[in-house]
Amino acid sequence: MSNTLTKLRYRYWPDHVFGELLQKQWMETAVPLLVLLLTIAFFSSRIDNFISVANLSDTLRQASELGFVVLGMSLVLIVGGIDLSVASVFALCNLTALYCINVLGLPTPAVIALTLLLGAVLGAVNGVLIGYMRMRAFLTTMVTLIVYKAIHDLLNFQLAVAISSVVPDVPAWDFLGNGDFLSIPTVVWVFAIVAIASHIFLTRLRPGWYVMAIGGNRRSAYNIGLPVNRVVAMSYMASGVFAATSAIFYASRLASPGADTGKGLEITVLTAAILGGIRLGGGKGSVTKAVLGTLIILIITNGLLRLATPAGAARLILATILLLAATLDIRWFKNRHKAVQELYVSPSYLELPQSPPTGASSPFALNDRLRAVEQIGLGEVESPEDVILDREDNLYCGSRHGEIIRFFAPDYKRMEVYARIGGQPLGMAFDAGGTLFVCVGGMGLYRVNPDRTVEKVTDETNRSLLSVVDDSRLRLADDLDIAPDGRIFFSEATIRYEMHEWPTDSLEGRGNGRIICYDPRSGKTHTVLRHLIFPNGVVLASDKESIIFAESWNCSIKRHWFAGAKEGTTETVIASLPGYPDNINVSSDGNYWLALMGMRSPAFDLAMRKPAFRRRMSKRLPGDEWLAPNINTGCIVKFNEKGEILDALWDLGGLNHPMITSMREHKGYLYIGGISNNRIGRIKLEGADPEFVSSGRYNV
Amino acid sequence: MSGTELNGGGQAEAVAKAGPAGGASFLKGVAFDQQMIVLLLFAAIFLAFSLLLPGFFTVGNLLTLMRTVSVLGILGLGMAVVVIGRGIDLSMIASLAVPSAVVLMLASKDYGIATSLLCGVSLAVAIGVLNGFLVAYAEIPSLFTTLAVGIGIAGIGQSGLFEYEIVPWPAQLAAISWIGQGSLLGIPYSVLAFIAAAIIVGIFMRKTRLGAFIYASGDNPNAARIAGIPVRPILMLQYIIAGLVAMFAGLVLSASSSSMDTRIFNLTWIYDVILVVVLGGIGLSGGRGGVINVIIGTLLIGTIVNGMTIMNVSFEMQNLIKGVVLLAALSIDSIVNPRNEETAQQGDI
Amino acid sequence: MIGLKKIGMAVAMAATVLTGGIAHAQNSMSDPARAGYYDNLKGKRVVFVPVFMGLDLTEGWSKMMSRQADKLGYKYEVRNSNFNTAAGAQTITSLITEKPDVIVVQNPDVQSYAKLLAKAEKAGIHVIQLNMKTNVLTTGFVGADVEELGELQAKEVVAHCGSGTSGKVLVLAGPPSSPFSAYMLKGYENILNKSPEVKVVSVQSTGDYESAKAKSITQVVLQQHPDLCGVLGVWDNTDVGTAAAVKEAGKSGQVFVSSSGGGGELACKGIEEGMWQHYVSYDVPGQARDLNNLILAALQDKNPVGTTKTILYTPLVIYNKDNIKNQFCWTLDTIR
Repeated sequence: MSNTLTKLRYRYWPDHVFGELLQKQWMETAVPLLVLLLTIAFFSSRIDNFISVANLSDTLRQASELGFVVLGMSLVLIVGGIDLSVASVFALCNLTALYCINVLGLPTPAVIALTLLLGAVLGAVNGVLIGYMRMRAFLTTMVTLIVYKAIHDLLNFQLAVAISSVVPDVPAWDFLGNGDFLSIPTVVWVFAIVAIASHIFLTRLRPGWYVMAIGGNRRSAYNIGLPVNRVVAMSYMASGVFAATSAIFYASRLASPGADTGKGLEITVLTAAILGGIRLGGGKGSVTKAVLGTLIILIITNGLLRLATPAGAARLILATILLLAATLDIRWFKNRHKAVQELYVSPSYLELPQSPPTGASSPFALNDRLRAVEQIGLGEVESPEDVILDREDNLYCGSRHGEIIRFFAPDYKRMEVYARIGGQPLGMAFDAGGTLFVCVGGMGLYRVNPDRTVEKVTDETNRSLLSVVDDSRLRLADDLDIAPDGRIFFSEATIRYEMHEWPTDSLEGRGNGRIICYDPRSGKTHTVLRHLIFPNGVVLASDKESIIFAESWNCSIKRHWFAGAKEGTTETVIASLPGYPDNINVSSDGNYWLALMGMRSPAFDLAMRKPAFRRRMSKRLPGDEWLAPNINTGCIVKFNEKGEILDALWDLGGLNHPMITSMREHKGYLYIGGISNNRIGRIKLEGADPEFVSSGRYNV
Repeated sequence: MSGTELNGGGQAEAVAKAGPAGGASFLKGVAFDQQMIVLLLFAAIFLAFSLLLPGFFTVGNLLTLMRTVSVLGILGLGMAVVVIGRGIDLSMIASLAVPSAVVLMLASKDYGIATSLLCGVSLAVAIGVLNGFLVAYAEIPSLFTTLAVGIGIAGIGQSGLFEYEIVPWPAQLAAISWIGQGSLLGIPYSVLAFIAAAIIVGIFMRKTRLGAFIYASGDNPNAARIAGIPVRPILMLQYIIAGLVAMFAGLVLSASSSSMDTRIFNLTWIYDVILVVVLGGIGLSGGRGGVINVIIGTLLIGTIVNGMTIMNVSFEMQNLIKGVVLLAALSIDSIVNPRNEETAQQGDI
Repeated sequence: MIGLKKIGMAVAMAATVLTGGIAHAQNSMSDPARAGYYDNLKGKRVVFVPVFMGLDLTEGWSKMMSRQADKLGYKYEVRNSNFNTAAGAQTITSLITEKPDVIVVQNPDVQSYAKLLAKAEKAGIHVIQLNMKTNVLTTGFVGADVEELGELQAKEVVAHCGSGTSGKVLVLAGPPSSPFSAYMLKGYENILNKSPEVKVVSVQSTGDYESAKAKSITQVVLQQHPDLCGVLGVWDNTDVGTAAAVKEAGKSGQVFVSSSGGGGELACKGIEEGMWQHYVSYDVPGQARDLNNLILAALQDKNPVGTTKTILYTPLVIYNKDNIKNQFCWTLDTIR
């Protein structure tokens, strides 16, 4: 009973989603969003009509005005600086705009252009001082704040009367600050467009990446040759332009050349940016955060004003909220990755059938036949996961260093680097033309043309709708085979982990893997089967309409039809193996060779039925003390399409070739690879077809 | 103010250790750093005013000059302690206004001088502890923490604690009103208060173990922690000192103008305080500089303001000229001691 | 201006008649206007948007407005913009959607709220401006005629610093763009320009009416001009600093300080302790009474908003050593 409950709970409760959600980049924004929702909830419960159309439109109008300045400040914060002068830039631009429209009577576009130009110039002064002259941002902008403010006061003294005495009637100008378009204020439209553009700029465009890179690590950015000075200077200029934009809308809305225009704006803006989660010191921040911060600060101040809170209490509340929100955000920022570490590994319930016996009377009977293996390239190769031979009998294998090594026939004493891939080559297959297709861990499906050029075949597939993890990228392409029509079927062992984290995936025992098909005719890649438990070896079956593949942690072999009468169906060939199956290849007698990379143990099998135990283990113990499947000793078995075991080859003492992940039959010999080996093995097969070549069989 | 200059605040020993410190040296043996630049600038302006402005170079005026900036200077001392510890305290104006106003208010209600002072001191310490706790343990950047705490403290000041926002200096405090009024041997007490505070802070920072710890943890917090310095308590200590210094400045200010205007929080005074500190050559990246830098910065600002008031330059024009002079000082430093990518610290604004 | 004053008095009288004129009827008889009057006021809403609270002026006005509201049963609330013009503008913007019946607003300067106030009136809200007005006239204005205030102060200083003295005068002002300060300077100029014997040695802004600033300016000027004759102070709260500087320089009684303000306890204390020798009061309790009357008139007004526009300049009262015994200096406790 409780077992059933456990099964159901682990089958339907999406444990893995929490860790995956937490890991998402946008979860950094979770705290500001939460704070925003809480403030909205609080004030709408206290104030009637807080969420009315009129009030919302008011709030958004003001939020957008403030938002421009916050965007500018955020940009500067992200690049690793600070701009306190925004308040005075804002005030000066406000005054200029009003003077141009009220006194000079310039047309609206000219007013906008002039004001923006002024903002750019004032920002550029900061930019030159800080970007090119390398002065300190905080001090410099503080002094420019004072200087610009003094200029503003001097001018304001002389211009305010002139400005106040005229009330111009320019509809286009009024439309900026007071107008609506589709009953949403003009300024909100403009801000939305600018914010989206800024978002695209920061996340999708090269200059935006420069900004992020310089903020993240200025020295590295400089050393890789980014134009650090120019980018920094431009950010300050942009900040000035943003402040000017805000001032234009403010001027149009209030037409006020007040003496204390913009007073304390730098504090409000800085507060908004930090509340949104943008960090002082650079490299961390986004447009979303800036917008959230703006909304939070505006809703709090607006709400407190509307509640007619006494000034003292209002300040106390504001300070408390600021400190709480900042504490929360900083704790969150610091501890998120710890939470991810604890939550990401989410073991599931996996009940394996009884392990078949390996006693003397069983088909798996132990023997020492692999002890006679000859060694090829001993000490010269590392991690040959798969081995393959071409029609000229040359032997190929992958290496840990991201290369494909070729050993020359006939004696395989001589070797060379056949191609450099850059990632660990796993499964390999030749097509009829001699092109070598390779699954590369962490990179996807690649091919090495006969002229040795390396090309990417595919590194992405269709994104599944409900997956939280971005499963469109290939993380661990494992083994492949080529169908007669040229389609390539390959396995991706897991979408949740990188190659070196495979033991963690085994601990989960969930169907994290899939079979993917690449169709060279359309150039498209799509996922064929999902939720497979570490799919590994793939081989084309004899009917040429199906593939046979291994599910490693499920200890099973399955068959999937991609064409013919049974198209789309999947059947189990072997339900239970005594070990973890890896690559599968054809044998000369029409059956299949299968590598068992390691043998099951009762303890690990039991653990797979105790997900809570494994979760506890993953939370409380360091990773190197976790249970892991044995892959020290394995064997090679031969099976047929009915699932019968026909033969087994072992190296009991582990002297010569204990660890096996792949094997390939070629002209009467079996060549053996192992991912943790420093050699390739070769053994003569008695009675095998001496002309049999496994590569490029079908698509001649 | 960055790694290029190792000899802020008369740190002769630092120069000796570092040998010919980085940055260009015009004069052999004299590092032409920001402290020097500001000192020269001060000397130049002072000389110019003395020659050109009748009535500037008189004992009376110089004392007035000092008196004008003494409160600013005292605040600068407190700020310097925090800045040397790689922080900043924007709540200083609030902790100048509110605790001292509490003292005035309590005294006016006949609680006695000692009790009133004790309450004020407790409040100032509490503000420091709050700031320090949030910076050291909650790890909120000091800029933001002290900004928010300052707003909160100003809020307390406005929550009906005082009848009006301008709290008058009560008759009950007449016994201690000398700290802001009157003079000793012709030197105003407020100037003496500045000098006394400078000496105390100077001895604390240079001669005591705690002072050395503040330098160490400001210079390199991680190294200080590894060396076994209790970095977090030291951080709290800095903010407590800043709070107490601010309250002292508040008492001098209110005694001097016979009232405490708690609205002072609304003003941009805090920028002046930061300027005094940083202009004198105390780097915002911490661990550099000392009391002498505060004095130089204070004198420069005081001279500019005093001279221009004599010339009857308007308030706005004074601000403009002050700003341009400061900008010039900063630019000269940046030209003479250029910072480059190797010496710049990450996240150092 | 006199005409305006008369209108104001007429309005005030009308209101007085309405509130209490019937009290002396001999035979019992119900006043037909009475019930309607009270019912009409019930549930109305008046919002005060000051630049600041916590200083004698605003606290005094607010206390009296609140007291009348309690008595007559309409709602009164304060939305403090706390020296932040942007916050004030935000408040008025949201008030326009909230639609109270009357907004009483203390303007930070001549222009900032102008557009919003016009908008509010258009939306049917009566706007009464207090002490500092914008260049847009609304339902009402209550406050001092600041130019006259300046003239009164300057006249006295000129009288004191005529021949036989150095004639040197220091002028302290408020924030340069504040209309209050600007109008006051205009008043000073009106008089000083006609008085060649008086020499203005310095005109300095005390920032946002900071007493510390007033003190340091006065100190510097006293240093330069030990024979300073008079100071035209800007506001009593600020001139506490001015007086402290004079006292410290040991020139109490030699320098003639003229100040102004709302006539609170500080005014009397200042005269008595010799902080200033001359003081012009704009009588906060009186202003508050005018204000309350305008509020009542507005609440009862059936015409479209903006039909009538009333200005009530406060009669100014001069305090000096000779008359201080007869002057009433209000405190929050004594204000009625």
